[in-house]
Amino acid sequence: MAAADDRRAVGEPRRRWTWLGLVGVGLALLLLAAAMVQTRQFALLRQTVQSSDDFVVLSIYQAETEYLRLREQWRVAATEPAPDLDALRLRYDIWISRVDLLDAERPRRLIRASDEFLRTMEQIEGFIAAADRALGPQPVAEPSTTFLQAQLPGLEALGPPLHAMSLGAAHRVAEQSEQRTQAVREQNQISLALTLSLSVLTLAFALIALNQVRQLRERRLVLEELAHNLREARREAEAASEAKSAFLANMSHEIRTPFHGLMGMLSLLRETGLGPKQIDYLRTATESADHLLAILNDILDMSQLESGRMALAPAAVDLRTLLRDVEALMRPQANAKALALHIDADPAVPERVVLDTTRVKQILFNLVSNAVKFSDRGAVVLDVRVRRDASAEGRPELEFVVTDTGIGMDEATLARLFNRFVQGDNSRSRRHGGTGLGLEISRNLARLMGGDITARSRLGEGSSFTFRLPLEVPAEPAGDAATNAAALAARSRSLQVLVAEDHPVNRQYMAALLENLGHEAHFTTNGEEAVRAARERAFDVVLMDLHMPVLDGVGATRAIRALPDRARSTVPIVALTADAFEQTRERCLVAGMNDFLTKPVSPEKLAASLRRLFGSPAAAPERGDQPAAPVLPQAGGGSALIDEAAIAMALQAMPRERLASMVEAFLGQGPQTVQRLRTAVRDAQPLELRVNAHAAKGAALNLGLAALAATAEALQQGAAHLPAHEIARLVQRYEELLPATREALVAMGVLSGTPAPAAT
Amino acid sequence: MSPRPDAGRRRSLTLGAAWMLAAALPARALERPRGPVVLTLTGRLRMPNEGDRAHFDMDMLAALPQHSFSTRTPWYAQARRFTGPLLRDVLAAAGAQGTTLRLVALNDYRVDMPVDDVQRHDVVLARLLDDRPMSVRDKGPLFVIYPFDADPALRSAVYYARSAWQLRTIDVL
Repeated sequence: MAAADDRRAVGEPRRRWTWLGLVGVGLALLLLAAAMVQTRQFALLRQTVQSSDDFVVLSIYQAETEYLRLREQWRVAATEPAPDLDALRLRYDIWISRVDLLDAERPRRLIRASDEFLRTMEQIEGFIAAADRALGPQPVAEPSTTFLQAQLPGLEALGPPLHAMSLGAAHRVAEQSEQRTQAVREQNQISLALTLSLSVLTLAFALIALNQVRQLRERRLVLEELAHNLREARREAEAASEAKSAFLANMSHEIRTPFHGLMGMLSLLRETGLGPKQIDYLRTATESADHLLAILNDILDMSQLESGRMALAPAAVDLRTLLRDVEALMRPQANAKALALHIDADPAVPERVVLDTTRVKQILFNLVSNAVKFSDRGAVVLDVRVRRDASAEGRPELEFVVTDTGIGMDEATLARLFNRFVQGDNSRSRRHGGTGLGLEISRNLARLMGGDITARSRLGEGSSFTFRLPLEVPAEPAGDAATNAAALAARSRSLQVLVAEDHPVNRQYMAALLENLGHEAHFTTNGEEAVRAARERAFDVVLMDLHMPVLDGVGATRAIRALPDRARSTVPIVALTADAFEQTRERCLVAGMNDFLTKPVSPEKLAASLRRLFGSPAAAPERGDQPAAPVLPQAGGGSALIDEAAIAMALQAMPRERLASMVEAFLGQGPQTVQRLRTAVRDAQPLELRVNAHAAKGAALNLGLAALAATAEALQQGAAHLPAHEIARLVQRYEELLPATREALVAMGVLSGTPAPAAT
Repeated sequence: MSPRPDAGRRRSLTLGAAWMLAAALPARALERPRGPVVLTLTGRLRMPNEGDRAHFDMDMLAALPQHSFSTRTPWYAQARRFTGPLLRDVLAAAGAQGTTLRLVALNDYRVDMPVDDVQRHDVVLARLLDDRPMSVRDKGPLFVIYPFDADPALRSAVYYARSAWQLRTIDVL
């Protein structure tokens, strides 16, 4: 329908232009005709003037008159004895002079040279020839009375034909005059008709032009509407794309949780006394899993970058610590390939800079691991320096240059290097793996930071990647010096940490983590209590769960930030949440939080966050003392019930017994939780349902109880919109998972065989 | 001379010119004709030679400065050559002092001509047609002729009518 309209809209102007053209041609033809009529009129007028037929008529009339006078005189002379011959001759000559004129061309034309005319002329000539014998210029006879009398009948015979000629000419002229009048009348009529046609055509022309203008206006309106629709469609498409990105981000996030379980199982499997072939298979499976995890992370990053949700969290950091972290992670890879790894920082590089540690590390990992990947010998060098002269407005830039002695790239490869899914060398891609998103993500991140990544390379001579970003040195006003002093003090003393967490198991878990890090934990169970505690006592940091009864984390943060005492209102606040969504993160930061930790909260994450806030890694001195790998009892097998990685992390932070008691406590509360959930379902209180499910989820995540966490999350997510029987089914499932989880934990050796008495 | 001065000024100029012409020839009274009279001037004349009239014979006209041109006319199929004194010289010779000339032909044809015409145009009183005297039959002996071919404006019925042939008398009004 719309297409048909379009076609008509396109077809109509063309037809209209054709009409316009036809009318234009018509106008031109009419103007030409008008010009021709005018010319003809002019010619007619000129002819009238030139022909002077009236004059001719006068001549003929005079010829007759002169004839009559001559005849009169001749008659008198013929009767007189002594006639005045001179006078007669003069009269005779005058008449002849008149007769001569009749023989001229114009009179002939007028009188149409009829036989009658010719006869008359012959008759006249005959008479003149006879009369001239006596009256002519060379007379041969005497003009006697006898002669005159003899010629008189001849003269008199000329009367009737001359008179007839005179009358004929007069009639002819009258006729001509009538014809002319007729012609003029016709001309006038034609002119009138032309003028009328001209007016009509001009009117038509004007109407068509007017119509054209109207059509153009309508067309413009149609186009405007079309543009509006297109804008609307684009907006919708963008919204859909955004939704898809969010979905992708959520999905990759969701996939990661069970995936951690899978990976934990793989690592457990290794300890079960496998044959060499099985170990080989397992290694391959683990590599695949690692690869898959990397891809998931890449996709998550990419979708966030694309949807514009990727937000940077720049903070003041110790650059050399960052470099040490990079080195620590990369050295094993380099050693494995017998490559030298040098990391050099120019002395001019400031110690502390403002940047997003996680993302900068991610970029450096990507660049360095690429360098290692594509080099078989020689060295990989990471140089860090400050460039002041470099680019725009002479602003100083921090520059990381990763140089390798690898296979290098040719120009064509270099040109498409940063394109999506492009890997340096197709033939090697299988060997080196990777999504092909790494460099694109890195470059996008770099650009997000206001910098860029550039590459130089020559085939066979290695490559050099330069990652630069604007150098920002943290401002250190007087107030900050105190903070720094406090930070320094924090190294030597333990921090006073306020934890706002509604779930008892999570409280226990956080207590264990903080204790393990050497800090002192204080607990509140909702936001309101947290605000009260923060007002009454000075804490070094607040760990704030987002979902809490009475007052949630965001509200509590706002309340604390609004406290009148400046020392109390500026306490650092770190969010704790099971949501990895960027919006949640932004919401926290907007509310005035300083950092954002996703559950499960590992000791490393917590330590890193505290490091970010207090600028010292010394807050977790015990880390080195802990065994690198969790000591897990051998078990026959696990299942997706348990997140082994999370268990492992928890075991880094606390002894098995403590974790066991926490898990026991959580599982022991299970029946009560189920009861609460059922009540909420029965009373149709989705909010209540969600709050309870969320609390259960957070604790289950921290404790690595994957299946319970997933079910609790499904309840939380579906609380508002799932049908009641679905929710009931989920609650039922949660209930069923409680003993199953316990069995799995017993099988893993985390729990002893019998439930703790306290839990029941 | 500007071609179209306004009418009043032109008239006084014309009168002035006529007066000056007359004044320029005060002593030369018009001689009397010795041959047959071919042209008679009547009316306001300063130098008549016969009572209040001025008579001219062919010799007197031939004695005046002669003027020649070829022109097409309605009366002849081809262009013909006309020769004779300028009409204004003839008028001056008789000391004519008028504004209108009434031309009368042998057949009593008469037509009025403004004196202005003879000042503005070289109107010739032709006595020779193609260098030969004109008989009465040839519309002679005298033929007032305008230089029609010299000025297209002259080719109109008005001037054709003023071109009196077989001229006999000029009455100066």
